[in-house]
Amino acid sequence: MATAPKSTSAANAAPRRQPARDIVDYELLFDCVHCGLCLESCPTYVVTRAEMDSPRGRIYLMKALADGAVALDADALRHLDLCLECRGCETACPSGVRYGKLIERAREYVNRNVRRPPLERLRNWLIASIFPYPERLKILLAPLRAIDRLGMRPLMRRLAPAGMRDWLDLIPPRAAAQPVIQAAAPAADSAPAAVVHHGCVARTLLEAENRNTEGALAAAGYRVVRMERTVCCGALDLHHGNFERAREFARANVRELGRHGGAAILSAASGCSAVLAAYGDLLAGDPEFAAAARAVSAQVADLSTLLLRRNFNFPRGFPAAVTYHDSCHLAHGLGVREEPRRLLRSIPGVELLEMNESDLCCGSAGSYNLTEPAMARELVRRKADNIAATGADYVVLGNPGCELQIAAELRRRGEKIRVMHLADFLALALSGADI
Amino acid sequence: MASSGNSALDSAAVAELRAIVGDDAIVSRPTELKVYECDGWTIEKSAPELLLRPRSAAEISAVLKVLHRREIPFVPRGAGTGLSGGCLPVGAPVMICTSRMNRILAIDYASRRVEVESGVVNLHVTNAVRERGFFYAPDPSSQMACTIGGNIAENSGGPHTLKYGVTTNHVLGLEIVLPDGEIAELGGPAEERLGYDLAGAIVGAEGTAGIVTRAILKLTREPEERRTLLAIFAGVGAATRTVSAIISAGVIPGAIEMMDRLIIEAVEDAFHAGLPRDAGAVLIIELDGIAAALDAQAAEVAELARAAGAREVRLARDESERAALWKARKRAFGAVGRLAPNYATQDGVVPRTRLPEILREIAAIAERYSLKIGNVFHAGDGNIHPIVLYDERDADETRRAIEAGREILRACVAMGGSLTGEHGIGVEKMAEMPLIFSPDDLIVMSELRRVFDPEQRANPNKVIPAPGSCVEVAAPRRQVVL
Ligand SMILES: Cc1cc2nc3c(=O)[nH]c(=O)nc-3n(C[C@H](O)[C@H](O)[C@H](O)COP(=O)(O)OP(=O)(O)OC[C@H]3O[C@@H](n4cnc5c(N)ncnc54)[C@H](O)[C@@H]3O)c2cc1C
Ligand code: SF4
Ligand code: SF4
Repeated sequence: MATAPKSTSAANAAPRRQPARDIVDYELLFDCVHCGLCLESCPTYVVTRAEMDSPRGRIYLMKALADGAVALDADALRHLDLCLECRGCETACPSGVRYGKLIERAREYVNRNVRRPPLERLRNWLIASIFPYPERLKILLAPLRAIDRLGMRPLMRRLAPAGMRDWLDLIPPRAAAQPVIQAAAPAADSAPAAVVHHGCVARTLLEAENRNTEGALAAAGYRVVRMERTVCCGALDLHHGNFERAREFARANVRELGRHGGAAILSAASGCSAVLAAYGDLLAGDPEFAAAARAVSAQVADLSTLLLRRNFNFPRGFPAAVTYHDSCHLAHGLGVREEPRRLLRSIPGVELLEMNESDLCCGSAGSYNLTEPAMARELVRRKADNIAATGADYVVLGNPGCELQIAAELRRRGEKIRVMHLADFLALALSGADI
Repeated sequence: MASSGNSALDSAAVAELRAIVGDDAIVSRPTELKVYECDGWTIEKSAPELLLRPRSAAEISAVLKVLHRREIPFVPRGAGTGLSGGCLPVGAPVMICTSRMNRILAIDYASRRVEVESGVVNLHVTNAVRERGFFYAPDPSSQMACTIGGNIAENSGGPHTLKYGVTTNHVLGLEIVLPDGEIAELGGPAEERLGYDLAGAIVGAEGTAGIVTRAILKLTREPEERRTLLAIFAGVGAATRTVSAIISAGVIPGAIEMMDRLIIEAVEDAFHAGLPRDAGAVLIIELDGIAAALDAQAAEVAELARAAGAREVRLARDESERAALWKARKRAFGAVGRLAPNYATQDGVVPRTRLPEILREIAAIAERYSLKIGNVFHAGDGNIHPIVLYDERDADETRRAIEAGREILRACVAMGGSLTGEHGIGVEKMAEMPLIFSPDDLIVMSELRRVFDPEQRANPNKVIPAPGSCVEVAAPRRQVVL
């Protein structure tokens, strides 16, 4: 992988070598003691093996930018852009560096100060105006669905320009019917409540995840309550430094979720869960919403933890060799690693095979696979190698982005391994059907 | 910043180097070079003029031939976790980083050895052989990031050094590219060596003999079982007396690590490892070996600790409790980052019996310089690591931190100890070398160095102070940020 700047990217960046103090929360930079313990936990460093693509290097760059020691030139931009915001470095860092906060602010600064080349601007505009709106995404996908029905995807793929193929591959072919969990009886009013935020991409492409998350919760005895109106959690905006719209989305969700006070809050997309858990921070400066946002964040939970808490058990066995992929924002963002594994191991017949680098990002990372396809491809290849080496029949994970990304790569390779969201896998195990 | 000296790193030289390593392995723009201006020792900074990221010994050899012909000095770099400024360019315009040379080449369980490229990360060696019940014994706390090449250069140790020895005890042979570009094989796969131990001379040379590209390492069998104890004391005095008591009783634990109150608090803030915040010091004592003997040994150690004043001795009940203790210990340095914007880790050695004395001295020095100094170290070998906290934005405090560090080292030497246990001399401690070595010693050392590097172009201005300037070494063009 080359680390040289793409000639198109940031060609128009106006290098300025004056201190850019507000590029990050300056004090947070000093948590980093330059020990380097984070290097090997960073997917981009693992691929390029260059310091400027490491967490320590990026933090150093941010500091140099803040101090005016370097300019925000094409190089600086390139290395900041290449960050996946996976927060693997936060898990590794003994010094408690809050890298996610640093890079979010840096991206906002970049947005304000760098004019991107026209094609990039168009691409980013498309991403920002489509993904957070499921209806728009559905409209966009309609023609592809028609093509799929005619069985013409392979032809279209061949005709598509090389740069488009990876994108096209991400859209799963029409899914075969999936088992859906049916709860036996509605839970009593006194049962603990849970509310599932139906994320944007999941709602459009992987609807079963939402239904099965709710189904599993109901089967475990939770009273599942529904949101009346769901808007995007704001992940995309937050990660791209568009704080304004991220806050708008956050306020809408806080208003809606606040009505279910006390309910556990989760999303089938752990990326979204992590953002919900960050609302407290995001709206801290908003007197009207701060308290409610903190309350929402404090209620964020994850599926496996909730099920384990109710001693969820499996009436019948399901013999399968399974490997588990740690989605970044579940493992590094919310710190949930053991629970999904424990849940999987509790299914009679399931053999859990650990893959190498299970918590190294697969390259999906929000819209990263659309904006940095080369690095994303490199990472998903690595992930697929690690998955294949386990000999498992199923990869289970907790985020739709990872599911699309990994499934696309396995399809390209002709691998038979099935990629499933934890909730869908539970549905399968409960149905006992082996499809 | 520029450290070109009289070298000739002109565009023709760069073009020649580019032709060898390729575009993606050459870094020449200032923004990118900036991040290479320091390692884990951040008090001094100086960026290289050119960074090369070769993929093989052959490329390094070709590169060094060009640099040799053009008389351009260079500095090797692994992961940059060094704590003594070893890979800081001082009059060396070209930096050569081995991070891409990270393949494990061969594992031979029957003869218990592994052959690796020098950029392989220390922990990755153990990860590769763990399943078969082996590990690579030298385990610096930075093992999740530091490279075998860096370990060899610094002769690194770790908690388990007490029983298993330092890097040099585990390197059977190595391949090195000498400063003129010649590739030499030193030592070999066999344990017994004929003639001079040349590989041994390279271990600890801090990159001043050339660039190590490959190494044959010894693998160690995982002990059958372990017992890990946490002994809790009111103060560092009782804790360090316990260390001597254990060793003189003839017990050799796998590791004995000490943490004082400042460190305990930092670690608790960071990881909630369950250490008692009100303790003055704790020892982590790990016994390993044949299962049958361990329980009796553990009881003996616990008894010795109590006799020396431990208020409590806990035994880790299972692997997860043991892992929590080690996590706390191994990441203690980093956790200290939560206490202050910067810290400098010192690395001195004293005879084990004098640990109580040196710790008293360190406390007095901290007081005198109005600084906070924490202690976390390999107590079993008397290898202390006082961590001096400071804020680099405060020039006076930074100066005091450096001075205090020097004074601690002088105290170590005065007690019959040494300047470094494992972090190396680098630029940090060059000025203190004459405290333990006579001018003659230093001359012999530089003559040995000249055997490998006659023109002193490999990592120049490091380790050995220039003759004639035995007290203060004038390091050329070195940017000291104060
Ligand atoms: C948090 C933390 C904890 C640490 N704990 C320990 C510990 O417990 N024990 C310990 O011993 N050290 C410890 N260290 C220090 C450091 O990790 C070691 O010195 C390590 O061996 C350095 O390896 P590196 O790959 O980072 O080398 P670098 O820092 O890149 O380089 C170190 C030196 O080695 C030279 N060098 C690097 N690669 C080569 C090569 N291939 N050929 C020739 N010369 C080369 C460089 O020129 C430099 O002089 C710690 C550091 C940190 C930050
Ligand atoms: S981010 Fe954390 S782990 Fe990485 S260099 Fe900084 S302090 Fe060390
Ligand atoms: S967020 Fe991920 S990609 Fe970015 S620096 Fe941290 S580990 Fe690397």
